[in-house]
Amino acid sequence: MFNRSFSISRLPGFTTIAILVFVMLYLPIAMLVVFSFNSGTSVAIWEGFTLEWYPRAWANEQVKDATIRSLIIASTASVIATIVATMAALATTRRKQTRGQTFVYILINQPLMVPEIVTAVALLIFFASIKVATGYQGLGYLITAHAAFCIPFAYLPIRARLEGMDLTLETAAADLYATPWQTFRYVTLPLVMPGAIAGLMLAFVTSLDDVVITLFVKSAGQDTLPTYMLAQIRRAVTTEVNAISTLLLGLTVIMLTAFFLLTRKRN
Amino acid sequence: MSAQDGVEARNARKVYGTGQEKVVALDNVSIVIKRGEFFTLLGPSGCGKTTLLRLIAGFETPTSGTILLDGTDITYDPPNKRPVNTVFQSYALFPHLTVAQNIGFGLEMRGHAKAEVDSTVEEMLALVRMESMADRKPTQLSGGQQQRVALARALAPQPKVLLLDEPLSALDLKLRKEMQSELKRLQLETGITFIFVTHDQEEALTMSDRIGVMKSGSLLQVGSPREIYTRPADRFVASFIGETNFLTGVLGKDAITLDAGGTLPLGASTQAKSGSKVTASIRPEQIRVIETDAPGSLPATVTESVYFGTDSHCHFALADGTEVVVRLQSPASGDVGLSRGQNVFLRFEPGALMVLEDQA
Repeated sequence: MFNRSFSISRLPGFTTIAILVFVMLYLPIAMLVVFSFNSGTSVAIWEGFTLEWYPRAWANEQVKDATIRSLIIASTASVIATIVATMAALATTRRKQTRGQTFVYILINQPLMVPEIVTAVALLIFFASIKVATGYQGLGYLITAHAAFCIPFAYLPIRARLEGMDLTLETAAADLYATPWQTFRYVTLPLVMPGAIAGLMLAFVTSLDDVVITLFVKSAGQDTLPTYMLAQIRRAVTTEVNAISTLLLGLTVIMLTAFFLLTRKRN
Repeated sequence: MSAQDGVEARNARKVYGTGQEKVVALDNVSIVIKRGEFFTLLGPSGCGKTTLLRLIAGFETPTSGTILLDGTDITYDPPNKRPVNTVFQSYALFPHLTVAQNIGFGLEMRGHAKAEVDSTVEEMLALVRMESMADRKPTQLSGGQQQRVALARALAPQPKVLLLDEPLSALDLKLRKEMQSELKRLQLETGITFIFVTHDQEEALTMSDRIGVMKSGSLLQVGSPREIYTRPADRFVASFIGETNFLTGVLGKDAITLDAGGTLPLGASTQAKSGSKVTASIRPEQIRVIETDAPGSLPATVTESVYFGTDSHCHFALADGTEVVVRLQSPASGDVGLSRGQNVFLRFEPGALMVLEDQA
């Protein structure tokens, strides 16, 4: 009867605090979702249920434009980030551990540790000089910037997957006449795939909702969905923005659920 | 068959690390393993047996020395270029492929036609009696079944040599016995050279045509199980393969005068000089316990008797205190009838006492 171990859930006030935290986290989001169905234009007073804001948001050319741009950037950047992250993960898990290893990890994960604003300013200055030199004004800058800060998000699940992988499998493939390329193609890659897909989705979501770096890097007329919404809200919080946010929320929830299902330990 | 057929290691040496962390895993080992042989590398962990196996498989290259296969130098060939396959200790089955895909992997990588791959896979499934499991994933199989798939996968490309790295160590005793005879059967049926690595002396004795005993990176003795057991080259081999008693004495002509008293005949001639101090060994099952003195027997006192089921191990003290263990078959009652402190005589079977060659 004395073997009960310490459990935080038995501390007084645990339930109250837990509920409070969840309310603080999710109540605003819940309100956002609810008010996206509000028939009035006010974001604070409920006037009745309507679906009208969704088609209306979509009919807005600026919203459509920003959405498409966001999706192009997010998909391109996340694919690039995943490929680079896979290579980085292979390089860091397949070689002998050296003293420089920690330094390499820090380098790869740098975007997670350096304040975003610093990266943003640095990129602004860097890209400005390239713009001057080349005259190129396209989406390439945003895609490059997004790919760069998405790398650590893609890298972490891939590395976890590779670290859990039995290296004897690759030895076995070589023993069974597979060339190094065949070993990668038929053994390593299929086994890394769940990690790579998880990384891809994390990178996609991260790119999709970035504001700070995008604001600094984008040229005129290159609004992404988040920067467009920010601009709208500066004037007035509109129900249209609520509707867009709700859709983005839905997309994120779907992607994170898929991420969870894929990374769950499968045998 | 020419003299060069089979696997040969010439002065194979493998050193890991440098400076203070330098470890000599394999110390100039030379060995010839004949074609079609069931050869076992036996030794405690860290003796270099797995390193030698990895050099033959091509997973590692020797620091110096050469590896030959049927007379051809393969020392620096990558593993995928060698007609040598391995059964790994952990089996290393591909978890994302079915049993059939695992078995067909080697042939597919070598670019064989699909029909040929399929028919070989079927053949192999039948060989290891796993026909009904073809479409399962490895994780849905028991340890013994995974073992069979690993065997089938390594045999499917019909290698010249099959390497087995302690493949039975993860199985329980009953399954291990089953797989031992299974392995022996497969080796006889396929005629492929098997090189088997183990630290289990019983496994080595029951399965092998020849055994190579290793210790600290060196090959101590190579011979048939009988040779190794009855004529161990040195103290290590004698004690690692089965249990044994060591007795010291002075060598005479075809006899040894023991420090414990008495002069006993030797089983075989020795290279040691007459008159030198030597150590001789005798197996516990080659000693009889008798009540009365007889020629060639030594007085002893019972110190302990341990019951093992089929037999009992009785410990005795000789006149000078040397401990001798005797294995006695258990009678129906289970009691060998020896009690502590009882004085008896030990009669050594003629020819059983062997002088070990490794003493100065």
